[in-house]
Amino acid sequence: MLRGDEAEVVLFTLEVAALATLLILPPGLAAALALARYRGPGQGAIETVLSLPLILPPTAVGLVLLEVLSRNAPLGSWLAGRGVEIVFTWKAVVLAMAVMSFPLLVRSARTAFEEVDSRLVGLARTLGCGPAAAFFRVTLPLAWRGVLAGTVLAFARALGEFGATVMVAGNIPGRTRTLALAIFHDNQVGRDDRAAVLAGITALLAFAALWTTELLTRRLARRAEE
Amino acid sequence: MRALLLALLSLLSVPRTGSTDDVTVFAAASLAEALEEVARGYEQASGNKVILNVGGSNDLARQIVAGAAADLFFSADRAQMDLVETAGLVRPADRVELLSNVLVVVVPAAAATRIASPRDLTHLRRIAVADPEAVPAGVYARSYLETAGLWAVLQPRVIPTLNVRAALAAVESGNADAGIVYRTDAALSRRVRIAFTVPREQGPKIVYVLAPLASSRKPATIELARRLAGPEGRSVFEKHGFVIEPGGAASHPLEPPLASSAAAK
Repeated sequence: MLRGDEAEVVLFTLEVAALATLLILPPGLAAALALARYRGPGQGAIETVLSLPLILPPTAVGLVLLEVLSRNAPLGSWLAGRGVEIVFTWKAVVLAMAVMSFPLLVRSARTAFEEVDSRLVGLARTLGCGPAAAFFRVTLPLAWRGVLAGTVLAFARALGEFGATVMVAGNIPGRTRTLALAIFHDNQVGRDDRAAVLAGITALLAFAALWTTELLTRRLARRAEE
Repeated sequence: MRALLLALLSLLSVPRTGSTDDVTVFAAASLAEALEEVARGYEQASGNKVILNVGGSNDLARQIVAGAAADLFFSADRAQMDLVETAGLVRPADRVELLSNVLVVVVPAAAATRIASPRDLTHLRRIAVADPEAVPAGVYARSYLETAGLWAVLQPRVIPTLNVRAALAAVESGNADAGIVYRTDAALSRRVRIAFTVPREQGPKIVYVLAPLASSRKPATIELARRLAGPEGRSVFEKHGFVIEPGGAASHPLEPPLASSAAAK
C-alpha cells in the first residue's frame, strides 16, 4: 500500500516534527513561565509578538524566515561565512515547524502555569528549593496536563506544517519533502490517488497523537488520585 | 445593530463573477509580461477586461480539469494541453502552436561560475529547476540533461520549484548555484546572468500551445485569441524574446470552428 519513498516521507516527517517539538520545549516553557509570572509593562506586546506565527499566514512567516536567512541579512551572512546552510535543507524544515508551533506550546503552557498557586512555589523556596528545583518539583507536576496538551498540539501542528516549510525548505524529494509537501506534490503532478493515501496517513498520525494524549492524561490522573 | 446586519447581508448579494465580456486566461508563468502587454492592448481596443492567471502549466491544467472557469489556456508544452483535451475541455481543432523558447543556464550575476558545457553543471551543488516531473520548463530541462547523459548524476542536486519563475528567484537570491530557465525569463532579471545557452538543435522541442476552452462561447475569447495569434501578438512576443513557431500563427484554425459556433448562438 505504501511505496518505499512514501514510507521514508512518513518517517522523515515524524523525525523532524519530533525534533522541532523538542527544540521549542525549553524556550517555550521558559517563555510561558515568564508570561505567567511577569505582570509588568510591555507584557501585552511581548505576548502579541510571540503569538504572531499563529495569526500570520504561514507564507508570510516563511517569507520572513527567507529574509532573515538570506546572505544579505546579518544572520544569513554569518551562517554563510561558517559554511552553515539552512535554506533548502532539513534544518529549514525543523526551523519552519519550530517557529509555527512555538505559540501553540507557549499559550497552553502559560495557562497551565498561571493556574499553579504561586504561594506553593513560594513555600518551596522558603523550604530551601532553588528556582529550578521549584519549577521541576512544584510547578511542572501541577501544570503537567496543560504542558502535555501544548506539546502534543505543537507536535501535531509541526506534522501538518506546509506554507512556511515550502518557502524556506523547498519541496525536495528525499531531503525536505514532508507528508504535507508530498500530498501537494502528488496533486500537482496528477497523482491524486497517492495524495489521498498520504492524506489518510496524516489523519491516522494526528489521531494517534491525540489518542495517546487522552490515554496518558487519564492514566496519569488516575495514578495521582491513588 | 439591524443596519449593520443588513449591510453585511447586502455584501453577500453583490455579484462576484465578472461581466460576460471579461476574458480569463490561464497561461504559463514564462508568458506573464508579454501577455500583460497584449492584454492591455486588447483592453484598450475592446473595452473588455482580461484576467490573467499565470503559473506552472501543469498546475493550471489541473485547475481547468477540476472545473476552474477559464476562457483561454496557453500552455508551455503539448503534454499539459493534451491533459485538458483528453478531459474533453478543448477541441483538437482549436489548438494553435504559437511559440517556442530557448533553455538557458543562469547563475547569480555576481558569481564567477563558468559553464562551457552542460558537464560543468556537475561542479555545482544546487541547481534550481521547475519541477522536472510535471512543469514544462522542468520537463524540457530534464529531457535535455537525459539526452546529454547527465540526469542521473545531476538529479540529486536539483532543487525542484513550483514553476520556472520560482527557479529564477532561487538563483537570484543565491540559494541555488544555478538554474535552468527560459531565455525570456533570464532577460527579465538583472540579478542573474546567462552562463550557458542550450543550442536549439540539442535541446528538446519547446512548443507553447494556445487554445480556447470549448465551454467559452463569448466572442471576446476569440477576439483575444486572434490578437495573440496575429501580428500584434507576434510582435510583442518577439520583442520579449520568444521564438515564433513557423506556420502556427498564419494557419491558425481558430477561425472556422468558432465562426460556426458563433453562428449557432
